[in-house]
This record gives sequence, structure tokens and C-alpha cells, in this order.
Amino acid sequence: MATEQDLKTFSTQVTCPNDFDEFWSGTLDQLARASLKPVISPDPLRSNDDVQVSNVTYLSFGGLEISAWYSLPTRGEGPFPAIINFPGYKSEPPVRRDWGKNGVAVLSVAVRGKLRSSGEFNPGYPGLLTSGLEHRDLYGYRGVISDCVRGVDFLTSRPEIDPERIYACGSSQGGGLTLITSALRPEIKGGVAGYPFLCCYPEAMSMFRSYPYDELSCYARAYPDQIDQMLETLRYFDAVNFAPRINCPMVVGIALDDEVCPPETSYAAYQALTGHKELWLFPNSGHGNAHDYPGQERAWLEQQIGLTAVVS
Amino acid sequence: MTTAADRFWRQTEAVLSELPMDVRLDRDDFYSQSNWDVFRMRYTSADGYRLFAWLSVPHGDGPFPALVRMPDYASVHDIVYTSLRERVVVMNPTHRGQRNSDEAFQAEYPGLLTEGIDDPETYVMRRVFADALRSFDALLDQNKALIGDIALTGAGLGGALAVAVAARRSTVHAVAANTPMALGNPDSLQPGLGYPLAELGDYLRLYPERRDAVKQNTADLDPLELASRITAPVLLSLGINDTASCPLAFGEKLAEIIPECDLRVYQGASEGGGHEHAQVQLAWLSDKLGLS
Repeated sequence: MATEQDLKTFSTQVTCPNDFDEFWSGTLDQLARASLKPVISPDPLRSNDDVQVSNVTYLSFGGLEISAWYSLPTRGEGPFPAIINFPGYKSEPPVRRDWGKNGVAVLSVAVRGKLRSSGEFNPGYPGLLTSGLEHRDLYGYRGVISDCVRGVDFLTSRPEIDPERIYACGSSQGGGLTLITSALRPEIKGGVAGYPFLCCYPEAMSMFRSYPYDELSCYARAYPDQIDQMLETLRYFDAVNFAPRINCPMVVGIALDDEVCPPETSYAAYQALTGHKELWLFPNSGHGNAHDYPGQERAWLEQQIGLTAVVS
Repeated sequence: MTTAADRFWRQTEAVLSELPMDVRLDRDDFYSQSNWDVFRMRYTSADGYRLFAWLSVPHGDGPFPALVRMPDYASVHDIVYTSLRERVVVMNPTHRGQRNSDEAFQAEYPGLLTEGIDDPETYVMRRVFADALRSFDALLDQNKALIGDIALTGAGLGGALAVAVAARRSTVHAVAANTPMALGNPDSLQPGLGYPLAELGDYLRLYPERRDAVKQNTADLDPLELASRITAPVLLSLGINDTASCPLAFGEKLAEIIPECDLRVYQGASEGGGHEHAQVQLAWLSDKLGLS
């Protein structure tokens, strides 16, 4: 198990490319030029007295159609505060009905490659982490991150959503995407990143032999002449390089016995944050299973949203 | 066991026994490592459905103890990554509808739990349990590794599949089941549950007149119907806050029925112990498989 001292003495070799901001502003410009074309289809099977659940689609990078679960409170007039929930690496996005009773909308995004967004891009799991590594323009996560950005765009386009109260959360890959999307979209007012993945790739891929990071080790073994290019691509997608660009309050939750996302690498992302930040450390917990994490996440988001005012 | 459940399982095994297994193994050079080989395994289950499994085989002559990790309720079943893979043959089999076993049918999440539930002939979960039995048989049928004692693991749906296979295959040596899904038991239909069991509640909210059909077509899969037949030792973990897969009262009833059950109940947990239990389970399995 890692100790707090291990986290503090860890140093990453990740550096930020000189044209990092240019690369991402170019990607966002491409996104902005394409229509969102949102479609909202209510799903009576998943709706209940508190929440109307809909399947949402919108267009993202490369013109791909992305799906999301959109849960809207059935009571109150809005505009509602909203949470955008980013998915883990291999898991499907959950239908989040747990906030509706409290007057909060939730968008749960199925980034490209997930079942409901896999029509034109489906590298599989394992597979996504190495898809397109040969160049930053081709890397699969350029699209995945764009899909998250477009989810925020969907929320800000909706009259029933309060654009001043949009928050983000997710665990593992969802934690990494929370950090990255919050850097790219200042419309996000705060976020909770649990056990964040997508941090310090060069170290993460060698610290454990567990997936998904081990996909990178397998790639390096299979294509030793491509290692430098692989690491160069990954610099543009490392949450550590996005963290200093986040201006909203951010929480990073770390399990000290995490054998999937090494605690040191997640801590490096926390260290790189320059705005208001909180660190939650969970000793004797592994990846995604700290018992206190879900309650803390909810309490923090409730406080940020100002939920008592919403309920009354 | 009820007459109906007994008939279901006998018919399922009869269907499987008449089909050639047709096991195929392809080494995956990309994911194979210095101490073990990774294979993409395919074999035939009920209805002629081709299934996929990840198979990890340690280098050496064997025989090796084996571990079958039954699939969770999820679209993806992991490539093998347990620390035991250097000394144990590990199989991660998928069921129909999961990725790599989805050419003919793609499962939805949420959605799989009620797919075709109106009719026992179309209810996909009955075939999912058949697929789990088939995976165990396919492991014994493959020719890449000599197999010794076999243990089963699984969480949620995987826990229920492990219980079912252990009940139908007396050669299972040990079972480590976390929060076995209560599908088929009346406790799975109580209000206020979380996903995945909440899928049943969603369905009955929209189609309340189909309640009897839902109860009838899931009942044969109730782990309580099967548990008394298990001859292997079982490590069972429960979480007191579990409302999504294995409500505590159901889990405790299951523990009472399993003849040799080592029950661990975790306070403050919804998933059956998480990290703490993972370490307990690893030690328990290592002991049962002679690795200690």
C-alpha cells in the first residue's frame, strides 16, 4: 500500500507539449463548427415518479453520434442544476435517477466505443487505450474527450438547465475525464474526480501489470520502435497537463491500495491543480471501492450546488 | 428444488449435451506475457451460439489448478489480470450478449435482465445460465493445459452463475461468490432496489399485469433452489447495504442452505467487502487450490 509520503515524493517525467493549448483549441474549434443536433427521446421504462429519463443523442468530433442518459426532475420548474457523469473505462454509463428527487438533472455520457455510441468507433476493451496511438490527431481519446465536451455543450443548450450550476463527476476513467473536461469547459463549476485514470502514463504503465494501463505495456512490447511516438501522443492526453488549466473547485479521491490507477499518478494530477482543491485519501481501499467515497462525493456536490435552496 | 426448476436444469443440460463443443483457441500474441500465454477461446453453447472466453495459461507442463471467473452483469468481461495467473489457468468466460459474444445478440445495460422475460422460451437469462455451465465444460474440453482442481469466482450475476455451476457440476473444488444476484427469488422484486435488480421493478411498473409471468419465468434461476446441491466449500460475501444485487436477507438465507459455507458479512458495504474481502478471497482461494 502506498503511503502519503510515497505520494509526496513521487515525481513524474510527464511534461506539457509547447503546442498543447493550440492542439486542444484546434480540436474545440472543429467541434464548434459542427452542429450539435441534439435529439431527446423519453424512455418510459426507465422513468419514475421523480425522474423523467430520456435517451439523448448529439453529434461530436468527426460527426459521430453519441448517446447519453438524461435524467430530469419531474417536480419543480427549473432551471435545474445539473451534474455531468463520465463513465469508467469498460463500464456502461449508469442511469442516474438518484438526484432527481433533489431537483438535480444528470447527464450520463456514453462516450464513443460504449455500446450505445459504438456504431462507427468500436475498438473494444481492451483496445481503446491503444487505438490510434501512432499520432495525436488519430488517438481515440481525442474523440472520447470531445464527446465529454459536447455533453457540456448539450447541457448549456437546454433551457431547463441552469448554466451557472453545472458540475462534473466520475471515477477511474470518469475521474480522468472529469479533470480533463473541466479544463476544457469553464462552464463546469466544480468536480469530483475519483481514482483518476489517464494520469502519468509513462509511470502508470510500468508500476503494475494490471489493465487498462497494461495495454500500453503490451503495445510497447509489440512495437518497441514506436515507444517514443506513443509517449509523445500521450502527453496531449495526460490529465496532469490539463490540471493547471482548471479554474473551478476540484476534488481528487485516491485509494492508497489502488492497483489499477497507481495512487502516485493520481496524486500528481492533484498536485498540478492550481485552483481551489481538496484531496480525499482512503487507506486500506482499492480501486473504486472506498466505502466512504460515494457519500463524500454526494455531500460535496450537494454543498456546491446549494441543494438546500433547490429543495425548499 | 421445485419440480419446475429441476425440469429446467435437466432440459438445459440435455440441450447442451447434444451439441458439439467445438472449442477453438487462438494465442493472442499482443497480450501474452513472459510468464503466461493468453488465448482467445471460442466454443458452442445452447442454440448453437458461439461464445468467447479469455484463457490465461502459465508457462510449464502442468497440471495447473484453474480458476473460472464468471462474468459480472456488464457489457465487458475483463481480460485476465488476477495475480494468480502466473500459477493458475484462469478463464474469464462471457455469456451471450456480452462483448465478443455479441454477433447474434447484443445485450443492453440496463435491459438484459428483462430481455424476453414474458416467455420462458425467449427469456435470455435462462440461456445465460446455460452459457455458464457450458464454459465450465469447455474448460475441461480444451487441450492447451492440463487442469487440476477448479475453483469458481464471481460477483453479482457472476456470483449467481458460480453458485449454479457448482450445484450442477460436482467436480467444482471451491467457490468464492460475492453478493450473488437474487434473480428468481421474490426478494428481487421488492420496491426500492438499485440497478441491476431495479430493472425488474422498472418492467413491472410499466407492465404490472405481467407480474406472475416475471415471477414464473425467473423462478428456476433462484440460487436458493440450487444451493443445497453444492458439494464444494463456498466463501460467500455480503454487504449489509446491498440493494442492487443480493439483499442481505436473501444472502443470509442462501448461506443457510449452502452445506459448507464460510459467510463474511461486511458492515458499511454495498458490494460485499470490496478491497478488504478481495484479500480474504485471494488467501482463501490460494489455500483451496494448494498455492499457499
